[in-house]
Amino acid sequence: MQNPLRRLALKGALVCALAAALNPAVAEQPVLRVSAIPDEAPTELQRKFAPLGKYLEQETGMKVSFVPVSDYAAVVESLATKKLDLAWLGGFTFVQAKIRTNGTALPIVQREEDAKFTSKFVTADPAIKSFADLKGKTFAFGSPSSTSGHLMPRFFLQQAGVSPDKDFHNVAFSGAHDATVAFVAAGKADAGVLNASVWDKLVEQKKVDAGKVRVFATTPPYFDYNWTVRGDLDPALVKKLTEAFLKLDAKNPAHAEIMQLQCASKFIPTRRENYDGIEQAAKSAGLLK
Amino acid sequence: MSAAAPLRDPAARGRVTVLLLGLAVLWPLLVVAKFRPAALFDAQNLRTVGGFLAGFLPPETGGEFLGYLLRATLETLAIATAGIALAFALAVPLALLTTRALAVAEIGPGPGRRRSRLVFHALRALLTVLRGIPELVWALVFVRVFGLGPAAGVLALALTYGGMLAKVYAEILDAGDARPARAILAAGGGRLPALLYGLLPGAAQELTSYTVYRWECAVRASVVMGFVGAGGLGQLMDQAMKMLNGGEASTILLAFLALVLAADRLSGALRRRLGEAGTRGAAAGVGAAGGTFVLAVAAAVAASFAFLELGFGVLLTRESAALVGDFVAAFLPPDLTPAWLAKVGYGAVETLAISAVGTLLAVGGGFALALPAAGRYGAAAERTTRFALNALRSVPELVWATITALSVGLGPFAGVLALALHTAGVLGRLFAEALQNAPTQPRDALIEAGARPAVAFLYGTLPEVLPQLAAYTLYRWEMNIRMAAILGFVGAGGLGQLLYFELSLFNYAQASTVIAAMLLLSIAVDAASAGLRRRLAG
Amino acid sequence: MSFRLEQVSLTHANGFVALSGISLAVAAGERIAVVGPSGAGKTTLLRLLGAALRPSSGGIELLGAAPWALPARELRALRARIGVVHQAPPLPPRQRVVTAVLAGRLGQWPLWKSLASLVYPADIAGARAALARLDLGERLFDRCDRISGGQLQRVGIARVLYQRPELILADEPVSALDPALARQAVRVLGEDAAARGATLVASLHAVDLALAEFPRIVGVKDGRIAFDLPAAEVGEARLHALYAGEGEALPLLADEPRFAAQPVDAGPARRGACC
Repeated sequence: MQNPLRRLALKGALVCALAAALNPAVAEQPVLRVSAIPDEAPTELQRKFAPLGKYLEQETGMKVSFVPVSDYAAVVESLATKKLDLAWLGGFTFVQAKIRTNGTALPIVQREEDAKFTSKFVTADPAIKSFADLKGKTFAFGSPSSTSGHLMPRFFLQQAGVSPDKDFHNVAFSGAHDATVAFVAAGKADAGVLNASVWDKLVEQKKVDAGKVRVFATTPPYFDYNWTVRGDLDPALVKKLTEAFLKLDAKNPAHAEIMQLQCASKFIPTRRENYDGIEQAAKSAGLLK
Repeated sequence: MSAAAPLRDPAARGRVTVLLLGLAVLWPLLVVAKFRPAALFDAQNLRTVGGFLAGFLPPETGGEFLGYLLRATLETLAIATAGIALAFALAVPLALLTTRALAVAEIGPGPGRRRSRLVFHALRALLTVLRGIPELVWALVFVRVFGLGPAAGVLALALTYGGMLAKVYAEILDAGDARPARAILAAGGGRLPALLYGLLPGAAQELTSYTVYRWECAVRASVVMGFVGAGGLGQLMDQAMKMLNGGEASTILLAFLALVLAADRLSGALRRRLGEAGTRGAAAGVGAAGGTFVLAVAAAVAASFAFLELGFGVLLTRESAALVGDFVAAFLPPDLTPAWLAKVGYGAVETLAISAVGTLLAVGGGFALALPAAGRYGAAAERTTRFALNALRSVPELVWATITALSVGLGPFAGVLALALHTAGVLGRLFAEALQNAPTQPRDALIEAGARPAVAFLYGTLPEVLPQLAAYTLYRWEMNIRMAAILGFVGAGGLGQLLYFELSLFNYAQASTVIAAMLLLSIAVDAASAGLRRRLAG
Repeated sequence: MSFRLEQVSLTHANGFVALSGISLAVAAGERIAVVGPSGAGKTTLLRLLGAALRPSSGGIELLGAAPWALPARELRALRARIGVVHQAPPLPPRQRVVTAVLAGRLGQWPLWKSLASLVYPADIAGARAALARLDLGERLFDRCDRISGGQLQRVGIARVLYQRPELILADEPVSALDPALARQAVRVLGEDAAARGATLVASLHAVDLALAEFPRIVGVKDGRIAFDLPAAEVGEARLHALYAGEGEALPLLADEPRFAAQPVDAGPARRGACC
């Protein structure tokens, strides 16, 4: 019975050796690491990013790699632990990132429409016509970390006197905006809320049966998505990135594909103070301590 | 005539008490689990499920998608292999230190006895913690430390399975004859020589066999971890299910089944070979087959690490070590304010309710399927129900949860049903085996005395198999309490949903309370189940 | 007429001829002992009479009916009128004595009563009375795996007493009992049959017990009836011829090999083969 014994010992030794061999720190390369909060399917995000990535490679002269993620908070944490250089964040995730980086995370640009963003409340139930009809129903938010899919709708619901935790039969988090629509269309949830831009895109692409699922309320406008860099990124590079985004123009045929995929007409500069309102809302909704 | 027994059944009072107690416990659990079977038969819901399932056909076969699928499948395999390799590396020293047969202190009084006892118990407690927290929870936490990709899954497997392997290794080593090892220790030999020359010769085959079996389980587990973003097939499946993309879901499910089946076959074949090697006895040294096996394992492990491009290197730099330290520190101390404890308490009750009601439903369903699967109603019925049982248990709970959520809406009841469907498949198979192995004479005797077959079964067969069925059920309940905690991630409520929510909001102090509650709950359920099993065996 | 066999033969699937050309007619209320060496076909004969085995050829009539021509429902009703005492009592080890005894009437009870009795024993008094006749009244609520092999065999007898069948078939019913208890148990069976006008057929290894307690003796050897005589007419010569293959001495009650009834091991529950 010696050979299984030796096998075990050998296996153990090999594992240790391998672990050691594979451990040396990753060598520095001029790579710009980019990610985005997964408010849509990661495959969809990757598809949307591809032409923008090429454009940024041209403008910065760096290799751009897109890291797909399926968890909002992981993007924030990665930015804070410097595993990402540039990330597309929502308003709330930006506030979280700002807090987790001691205020250094820097929003550089946003789409023109992000400055006056809205959320749509949708339902397939003919009996639901206003917030008051939601009592005792099941309700789907997007991700708990989503601004347009959770925080702001929750804030406005509370302002209207509806407490999701008390008044709804069940609160679910679908995880993403298109998933929320799928939940509502399938009757998995009686009603849900999602970001207006994804809703418009789904309607435009006929991915939602508009005869079945309808919008019954819309939130007031608020600041949402932006492109954020980590605070200690080389200022020259930050400047290059900012200019690259601001140069993009939907009317320029060379930029048309990028802008269409980003659902943007043009990018505008943004700053941290724009998100103070979101921070206040998060505090009053109890999502920020 | 001797003193006669009373005319009242002395066991009746106890039975009534147990029954009432059972109902008193079950009723609130049903309420908490939002048990509403009527929702299953709602016409609208049935149409929705039908529509989704109809979407399964035809399976998605687009080239781009198949490319993703292949990569995800390889990733899952690599995560499982790398995870088990690390778990093994973790388990060996832990097992070495927690094996009684290797403890010098067990031989008799000596210097440092008290201290080594203390270390022994501390390590055993550590193993309980490692095992008690589901790998999915570790994965969810590690996704934050390592960010993105499979590293989180690999480490989560390494911890949970490291704890399991260490415990079972120690058990296997302790089950053997301790005298050779003791003799070496008593003669002043160290732990390692005592292990190598005293214990391993008798236990090596079983140890290797168990490790291979755990690898098979790791393949399933790494799929499940994908649901929280740890890469692999699970991540793909999660997306397809969330988007209700039936065609993709069915292709992924088929790939998953093929993978699990292949892992099953490979592990079975390996373990058979090991068994044969064991009976062949003292073949000296590493034979050609043994060498090939070691080389193949080494190559598979190396390939897995290379494929995953694990960035564990970051753990070694001082800066990131500090970051990890900060991250861990953020979990301490846990939030123990009464308001939060009350919320976590309710979550724990909800999780308990999901696991208990789900397991009970599975007992009913599994039993109903086990009767034909044990061959009681002919060969055709046996084949059909066996197929059904295999199908039920092949689909992971998290996938069932998506389907059941469509049929009864999101919430605990969907979790109950998902758990029940998967568990019915597992229990049904075990029940059928137990029924087939039960002696037939008592039942036949009753049939020959004119009893109806069903009644003869109840009086003649059931009393013999009941304790075994109950033991299987209790074991399964221990697993289901962990799974119930996890189902919350897909909207079934309970501790899982709380954890997901708090981690999303970076409320780590609150999250660590939830993790502690999960740990306590699984320890409590293990203890309750062990106690019940002891009573049953009496 | 209690039962009648006419030229009955039974050949097992493997070609072994267990019984051939058996003809036997027994009137209601008779008490018969079947004797013969091991492997002679005694057990097979009793199983034929219990409608548990179907003969390969020949005619069989039990309690006025041809069992193998009956529809399932009526066959069940017929079987309920026949009681069998097994050599190894087929009782689930974890079942309680009271339940094991009451199970004797499952063929007679309506379904609801059979089910209800699982929850609370339907007829404790009846079960206790049956057990008391075998001095086991105090074992009523014990589990079958907590009593001795001899007690277990008497529980099997008590089950048939409780069943009150018109035809009692006892296959080596006292093999696990010491001589005094064995004699008592066989007497209890005989008295019960006599009191109710039921027929008793018992296969016995101990010829002295058979000759002392049964008026009619049937000798079986190699699957055939060797003799069928009143007890007084059997004589030692016939018995020696019957047991010629087993040596000089006749099997007597005092040196009966004791059968130790052991409950079947339920087997340890293994950890399910699942992750």
